[in-house]
Amino acid sequence: MKYSLVLLTLLSVGSFAAGVPVQKMQSTQTIATPTETTINVVCPHQGTKAKEVVAKKAPQHRESAVLAEDKPLLISVVGQGVAPVNTTSPAQAYALAKRAAVADAYRLIAEKVKGVRVDGQDLIKNMMVKRSTVRTSVDAMVRNANVVETTFKEGLCEVEMEIKLSHSQFAQ
Amino acid sequence: MRSRDGNKTFSLSVCSIILFHSLALCADEYLISYRYLVRDAQLYKETLSISHAMQKCTGVSTNSLILQTNNNKNLKQIISLKNEKFIAYVHKLGLNVKHREKTSNFQNTSTTILTLKTTCFKVDFNDNFAKITALKTAE
Repeated sequence: MKYSLVLLTLLSVGSFAAGVPVQKMQSTQTIATPTETTINVVCPHQGTKAKEVVAKKAPQHRESAVLAEDKPLLISVVGQGVAPVNTTSPAQAYALAKRAAVADAYRLIAEKVKGVRVDGQDLIKNMMVKRSTVRTSVDAMVRNANVVETTFKEGLCEVEMEIKLSHSQFAQ
Repeated sequence: MRSRDGNKTFSLSVCSIILFHSLALCADEYLISYRYLVRDAQLYKETLSISHAMQKCTGVSTNSLILQTNNNKNLKQIISLKNEKFIAYVHKLGLNVKHREKTSNFQNTSTTILTLKTTCFKVDFNDNFAKITALKTAE
């Protein structure tokens, strides 16, 4: 009876001793699962990285703003105009060509600052382009533009015009 | 009781004050509009309209232009004599740009219209020069 009891205790101790590594294995498995979760955690980590990227991009976007607060923008254009054929004198031809060139320069400034509306239309009949039309339009108000240089050569007048834009002009 | 001489001087002083103020304050006001059309890079039409303002203008004085007059009080004549200077001044004030361009089957036509909308100008005539000031209204 005593021996049987001793045997039982030895067996239980043995089984206990054998069970400890099993538990350890289980614990390692549980540790392993967190490692797997850490892999899953990588996604949010990547997400944070993405946020960082976005956060980095935002100041870059600010840096690439066209009109900085402290730095005025100088826009320079060259407008072209032609003198009419039936002019009475070269002076008249020059004056008229210059007007046309100034208008062209104003248009170019308006295009650069405000933008152009473009409409296109293609007419296709029997698999052939019959008519292709592109219409562009600009509507703007231009103030404080300065003529820098005027040249007149062989009936063509070129006017270099510039305008200075500052951030305060657009601040509302 | 007032004396007759006292009343006379009083009425004279009132009249002189009214006359002085009417001369000093009521500078001539003109309505001016300018428009020119450029078609296919050639000046097509130019219009400068000048007329007396029929009623008092309201607005804040902006930058001004001084033109030589040689005792001439006719603004149209003064401006026509110094046309280039006045047009440059108008450009400085600001012009509305309206541009239309059409390219059909690789043939291009364009029209550009520059307009100064009807603006009130205060004109002070002096002996040898006229001071033209644009009155800017609040938009």
